[in-house]
Amino acid sequence: MALDRWLRIVRLRLASLVHGRAADRDLDEELQFHVEQLTEANIARGLTPDAARRAALLAMDGVAQQKDACRDARGIRVLDEIAADLRYGWRICAKDRVTTAVAVVSLALAIGANTAIFSLLNSLVLRSLPVREPQRLVTVSLSGTGNTTTIGNFPYRIWDEIRRRRELFDGALAWSPTRFDLSAGGETQYVEGLWASGSYFEVLGVPTIVGRPFTTDDDVRGGGRDGAVAVISHGFWQRRFGGDPSAIGRTLTLDGVTFKIVGVTPAQFLGPDVGRAADVTVPLGDDPLIRGRETMLDRLYSNYLTIMLRLKPEQSIDAATAALRGEQPQIRQATLPAAAPHEVLERFLSAPFVLAPAATGTSILRRIYARPLTVVMGVVVLVLLIACANIANLLLARAAARRHEMAVRVALGASRLRLARQLLTESLLLSALGAAAGLAVAAACSRLIVRQLSNHNITVVLDLSPDWRVLLFTALATIATTLLFGVAPARNASSVEPIGALKDDAARPGGGDRRQLRLPGALVAAQVALSLVLVVAAGLFVRTFVALATERLGFDREAVLLVNMNVQRAAIPLPQRLAAHERLRGAVRALPGVAAAALSLVTPVSGSGIVPRIAVSGALPQPDSGLAGNAVMNVVTGGFFDTFGTPLVTGRDFTDRDTAAAPLVAIVNQRLARTFLGETSPLGHIVRIELGANPAEAEIVGVVGDTAYRSIRDGIRPTIYVPLSQFPNQPGGLASIMLSVRARRGSPEQLAREIAATIADADPHVTTTMLPLARQVDASLMQERIVAMLAGFFGALALLLAALGLYGVTSYAVTRRRAEIGIRMALGAAPGGVVRLVLTRVALLVALGIAAGAAVSLWASRFVATLLYGLEPRDPATLIGSAVVLASVGALAGWIPARRAARIDPAQVLRDA
Amino acid sequence: MSKPADLVQGTLDLLLLKILALEPLHGWAISLRLKQVSRDVLQVSDGSLYPALHKLEQHGWISAEWGPTENNRRAKYYSLTRAGRKHLEREAANWHRIAGAITQVVKLKEA
Repeated sequence: MALDRWLRIVRLRLASLVHGRAADRDLDEELQFHVEQLTEANIARGLTPDAARRAALLAMDGVAQQKDACRDARGIRVLDEIAADLRYGWRICAKDRVTTAVAVVSLALAIGANTAIFSLLNSLVLRSLPVREPQRLVTVSLSGTGNTTTIGNFPYRIWDEIRRRRELFDGALAWSPTRFDLSAGGETQYVEGLWASGSYFEVLGVPTIVGRPFTTDDDVRGGGRDGAVAVISHGFWQRRFGGDPSAIGRTLTLDGVTFKIVGVTPAQFLGPDVGRAADVTVPLGDDPLIRGRETMLDRLYSNYLTIMLRLKPEQSIDAATAALRGEQPQIRQATLPAAAPHEVLERFLSAPFVLAPAATGTSILRRIYARPLTVVMGVVVLVLLIACANIANLLLARAAARRHEMAVRVALGASRLRLARQLLTESLLLSALGAAAGLAVAAACSRLIVRQLSNHNITVVLDLSPDWRVLLFTALATIATTLLFGVAPARNASSVEPIGALKDDAARPGGGDRRQLRLPGALVAAQVALSLVLVVAAGLFVRTFVALATERLGFDREAVLLVNMNVQRAAIPLPQRLAAHERLRGAVRALPGVAAAALSLVTPVSGSGIVPRIAVSGALPQPDSGLAGNAVMNVVTGGFFDTFGTPLVTGRDFTDRDTAAAPLVAIVNQRLARTFLGETSPLGHIVRIELGANPAEAEIVGVVGDTAYRSIRDGIRPTIYVPLSQFPNQPGGLASIMLSVRARRGSPEQLAREIAATIADADPHVTTTMLPLARQVDASLMQERIVAMLAGFFGALALLLAALGLYGVTSYAVTRRRAEIGIRMALGAAPGGVVRLVLTRVALLVALGIAAGAAVSLWASRFVATLLYGLEPRDPATLIGSAVVLASVGALAGWIPARRAARIDPAQVLRDA
Repeated sequence: MSKPADLVQGTLDLLLLKILALEPLHGWAISLRLKQVSRDVLQVSDGSLYPALHKLEQHGWISAEWGPTENNRRAKYYSLTRAGRKHLEREAANWHRIAGAITQVVKLKEA
């Protein structure tokens, strides 16, 4: 009933809007009919036709007014007026092309930058996974393990126990990201992959658009009924199979094993790890097919799985945690290592399960970029504010030029509200144009930034399609912008005094009061303040990047090529793998261009590492590091330090005599020696290394220089090196290892082809991936580089906008005061005095702005403290430097119009007056 | 200026709805009927009728349709909608209540 009525009303409004002219004709005809009837009645009463008509019109109380009242009643008058305002605004914009172009372009850049950064933040941090009821998903982790992430926390055996208890929840799933090699041998061809439990698709609620998902029946050790199966992503399906449905049933070679494709996931589902697209998903149970006897399924210490639970509809996260912890004793009992040392057990037993909401999925990328992106978001908001101030000043100047027009309109009876509305409509038109262009800018920018995020190690894929959040953000930004730059001109224009403005000859710019210059001045000072904040931010981030990029690494970044060798597919029995690796190393070292070559498990600043707990005999008392490791470790062959150019300070390198049968030895870095032993020589001390089940004790035989380990930002950590020959039982059974090659001269990349050929000659089943060390180092600074780049770019943009604003306002003031300056000069003022006159005002504005900006910078610096390296957030040099930069830019922007003022010809001015 | 001064606010709506409740009419006929039923007590200018009608239409109380008059001219006929009928009932009840109350007050004064 009520709905009925509302529908009718909506229809009527729409009809009035769409058929505006037809409705007008209707109204004309209706009123006309009444007038005619009335006229006829009057004639019947004996009036002459003329008099009858006049009387009829009189009785109507004015046909035109009634029409207006009717249109008012229909609620279309406001719409009509808005349409008229828009038309008029469009004409004004089209007439004043320069102002319009400047405003629209700066808004497009500013709104575009805001939308771009926001859509990145949105897809990385805010957006929920495109799965069924994502708010019921939680991740599982263990508290107090020193591991702050929820990613890759568990070995298979614990997952096996949790999945047996899935009735505690609405389901459980586990996965581990990986890279599969699609090639048959030789140069690797990687595809982003995912090991996933059989429950993965069902519990997430992700369907397949072609074929079927795999299920728990497929997730069986060694493959289910259909053998090894794979589900591929929509993107991979398109790229590799051109979207052909016959891809189902075809096979893929993953790390040398054949998998049958059974299904394709929908385009919007990229996987549970935000920022990474899982192109090929295979069941966890197929792992032994690839890894054979070293399968992850049997490794007790290899934490590689991320575990997620789906809560029951009414289950709270606390209830679920309690349920899971209730089962924890039994889970521990079932997953106890057979012969674990006491300390390992203790640690393992004391850590309780923790659940955390995971509607937005998990993401390594988020951990790295959420904070920097938030800071950059703040930066672009400031840029938008600066742009607003600029446009407000432009419009104020335009409004001043239109004072005459406004005065005429007021005199003709326009209400002040109506004038303000007119000007606001014009502003809205500008921002809408800017926002529309900004959306295009944003799409390009965010794609560009995402491309920058990818490197040899990670291919970043984010769903950047604008959703309601992004569109709402842009709409709000547009409206806020309009209000910010539109209100001041609107207020100014509507407060125009018709008499004064009309008396003022429009051609004479000397009129008007000084009060009108105050607002632009304040806007410029605010711009200077905001720009200073951005320049300071840019300074801090650029200096952080420079500090990291020039940090002493402790190794030569330019001379080394990193070669990942994988012997998984070569039929080499486990115990002979090390020997095979050594043979390959020998072959490569024999190449004429190679100065040195060494094997290692870890390469510098690769982002990953081995973190054991160590104890040194006769050591100084150490702080308790809890469950976390207190040193970092690398397992290397002799020649490692020569290859990387790391100096041997004292003692010896590993040699061929350090065999498995010989006493265990270790080399430590200077930091470790100083941390644990102070000034005592570490040579001869015994170091106990706890990692996994079997602690080992080795004698320290050498000390090497300090090097960066996992990342440059991590700084120098106590580092221990052990020989590969004595520690060959590594997780993964040495299926893959890093061969680092030092070139005799020139770029190590030149060696790549030769090395690949040598390795292929020795064993064609070995797959290789090459990467210059310099690229790895650059990649490790990617986050800092991007933040420095963005901050630097926006800092420069802010500086430019502030300079333009200052220039505009000053030169406008000079134009307005042309007559005054001319008279001053005629009375004997020197050009220098005129310049000083103009510059005093500029200096005042800049000084005010810098003072305010410095205060804001000092306050805001706390938000970026964690992103900085090598300098304090309140770094005085950066602050002073930025102030100087702004002052010089301000001086330049003020000096140009000041010089123009000094060249005013008094005679000319007096003649004009 | 077009508001009939001595017509209580909102009563014109009530009168129009009541008149249209009897039969669909065009504007001219409504103005004649208005004068006739109120015995010229209520002074409503011919013009101010139309904004009121359009407002009622916008509210969905009445609907309009073009149709031929008795001497074959085209005119816009207004008729009461179902929502309008309900609204009329409510407003009429309201009117009775208020009118009754005012009558009481006026009588009190006389007594």
